Amino acid sequence: MDQQEKRLIKKVKKGDQQAFAELVERYKNSVFAICLRMVGNAQEAEDLSQEAFIRAYNHIDQYDHERKFSTWLFRIATNLSIDFLRRRKSNISLDAVVPGTEGLSLNAMLPDQTEQPEELAVRKETEEMVQNEIKKLPEKYRSAVVLKYIEDLSLKEISEIMDIPVGTVKTRIHRGREMLRKMMMAGGGDRA
Amino acid sequence: MSCTNKKYLSLMNKVLDEEATEREKHELYEHLDSCNECRVHFNELTYSTELLRRLAHPQLSAAFTKSVLDQLPAEKRHVILRWGSRHPVLTAVAICAVPMSLVVIGARHQTRDKNDYVLVNVSGDQT
Repeated sequence: MDQQEKRLIKKVKKGDQQAFAELVERYKNSVFAICLRMVGNAQEAEDLSQEAFIRAYNHIDQYDHERKFSTWLFRIATNLSIDFLRRRKSNISLDAVVPGTEGLSLNAMLPDQTEQPEELAVRKETEEMVQNEIKKLPEKYRSAVVLKYIEDLSLKEISEIMDIPVGTVKTRIHRGREMLRKMMMAGGGDRA
Repeated sequence: MSCTNKKYLSLMNKVLDEEATEREKHELYEHLDSCNECRVHFNELTYSTELLRRLAHPQLSAAFTKSVLDQLPAEKRHVILRWGSRHPVLTAVAICAVPMSLVVIGARHQTRDKNDYVLVNVSGDQT
């Protein structure tokens, strides 16, 4: 962790909200990406991301400065997403289509404006397909896969975020990868 | 897959985890050359992870940060007080500086008054 970040966190511990704003700017897109791929819905992911940052601020005293701040923050975001999924699971049936997934791909398309409409449509369709398959993974595999492939984190970092041994992280990634492969190959267009 | 050798499946995972040695990689690729089934399996795994990697990373706007800040509990103490508790020595110096400077200025005035008086006296002598 760089020195500037350490200084920011010191300020936050003393209640400096402007310093906290800088941390939010640094990590908001990563936190959002994790939540988005965990829950599959842009609006819900944004709400969860906000909640993650608010929690981080309120519990900053519990942050151990010997560890990476991002590890601690991603852990809050992952846990909140999992809690959210469990709550949702108890509310609606597993196979129900979750509304609002269209919005996320639209958002995702914004950065690249040189694409032709057909390419855009194909990419959007692929995104939806992949997101739908991720959504079918059991939570514990899903979080390991998301942290590995969306955030490109090392196995060690993932093990710290999820608080499980590296060996278990590997097993979860292997199983998750295998499940995704099967689902994607089973027609690819299978939309639950 | 019906290729009964589980060894290659674990090699595939090692390669995908980027933890395989050169020798292990070589061993796997050599096997893939001869085993169609494993080759397809490995390509499918690579393809699925590539799709995951290519998922977009949408950017959140500045409104997000503002909204987070708006939801934080109000800052407990005033900015000046917070600064004060963070730099106790400087604060003490700053507080002492006010009476100290008054004393210094006052003392200067007094010496100048005396000097004026002396000057007046001197000029008085001359007349």
